[in-house]
Amino acid sequence: MEMSAGVERKSMNEKMEAALEVKNLSKRFKDFELNVDELEIPKGFATALIGENGAGKTTLLNCLSGIRLDYHGEIKYFGKYVNDEREEPKNQVRENIGCAGPSGYFLSHWTVGQVADLGELLFEHYHKDQFWKLCENLGVIKEGKKETKVSELSDGNRMKLILASVFARDTRLLLLDEPASSLDPLMRERLCRMIQEYLEKGQGESTVLFSTHNVADMEDVTDYCVIIEQGRVVEKGFVEDLKEKYVLVKGEAEELEAARPALFTASEGKYGFEGICLAEDLDKLAGLKVSKETPSLFQISVAVLKKYTVIK
Amino acid sequence: MIILQNSGIPIYQQIADSIREDILSGKLKQGEYLPSIRSLAKDLKISVITTMKAYEILQEEGLATGVQGKGFYVNAQDTEMLREQHLRKVEESLGEAIRASKIAKLSSEEVQEMLRILLTQYEEEA
Repeated sequence: MEMSAGVERKSMNEKMEAALEVKNLSKRFKDFELNVDELEIPKGFATALIGENGAGKTTLLNCLSGIRLDYHGEIKYFGKYVNDEREEPKNQVRENIGCAGPSGYFLSHWTVGQVADLGELLFEHYHKDQFWKLCENLGVIKEGKKETKVSELSDGNRMKLILASVFARDTRLLLLDEPASSLDPLMRERLCRMIQEYLEKGQGESTVLFSTHNVADMEDVTDYCVIIEQGRVVEKGFVEDLKEKYVLVKGEAEELEAARPALFTASEGKYGFEGICLAEDLDKLAGLKVSKETPSLFQISVAVLKKYTVIK
Repeated sequence: MIILQNSGIPIYQQIADSIREDILSGKLKQGEYLPSIRSLAKDLKISVITTMKAYEILQEEGLATGVQGKGFYVNAQDTEMLREQHLRKVEESLGEAIRASKIAKLSSEEVQEMLRILLTQYEEEA
């Protein structure tokens, strides 16, 4: 299976289009370089950006959202607008993108009420009533205390405030940097439902791209995934395709050495080994007593990261 | 629709099985639209791509047709094909019963006798 097979799936009825197309994107730092030759984020789906700390997830998201403009390469938005055209007011690119991240978007001395007003100033399609409803539903502030300062909110509540201001707008693309990491389990589940409602409302026109370390928590809303390591994309594809590409195998400890050449990754325990095998290499395990299972996205991500990490 | 997370059967397969059953039993009628992919995904709390894969299976089997921008509708069911599908199901179920009977070490006479009794019982009830 080609790495990019997902976007070109022939059997797919719904035509696959890209909400974002990245070509030869690079950003150099003193001791780190982000290099993305080619990447498409499929329109109408939720994409997870997965990678180790420092792999370049936030840098990539900041280039995509326009928070960072000092990069080389091309980013095409909604199949039409390339770099400079994004800033043309008539193209409404910024209006159609909602961003959230752990870094402070709001000044700490602002009150929640001022944050609510700000949305109205900055965006045409902003629903203040929706903002307050979300603040209430998510429990951002107690008893409608609009004068609560941003600095008085916990990390989790600050993320909820950012999410409320993003979901109060009409957008076509959400770029969320680690939206789940500061949230409790209940809120993570709520976030998943909000993403699903957003995709449903968009009827195939709305797209979500989020980075996460909580792959398992977000698995049931992840359609497409991009795994980056050391500033490079090392795997990408629709989750259902990746689940056919990789197979989880388990076997007896004494057979590990015989199996190892065919395995993508393997870990050994006292009673047996567990590993990930590429489906195309499965026949190399013929004759060995191994069980085969479909891996979860979490297991696939761990295997891919393990394969490419420099931390051994 | 009940979806089991850890049954060993892929979720897309469970969805396809459930909808196929509704189509073959006539609960979903010809021309009727299946729930939109994204609303079914939301209701079942699963990904859009998993739901899409289930619908693709139904399309490949000729049970439903996808229309760009409108979703999937139920195809007219060819009576010949329907009968074929039901026959396959009978064969599968009997095959499973035979395998179980081997484990229980039943002779083929005993199995046939059991089937005869069950058939009579069923007809009496009906």
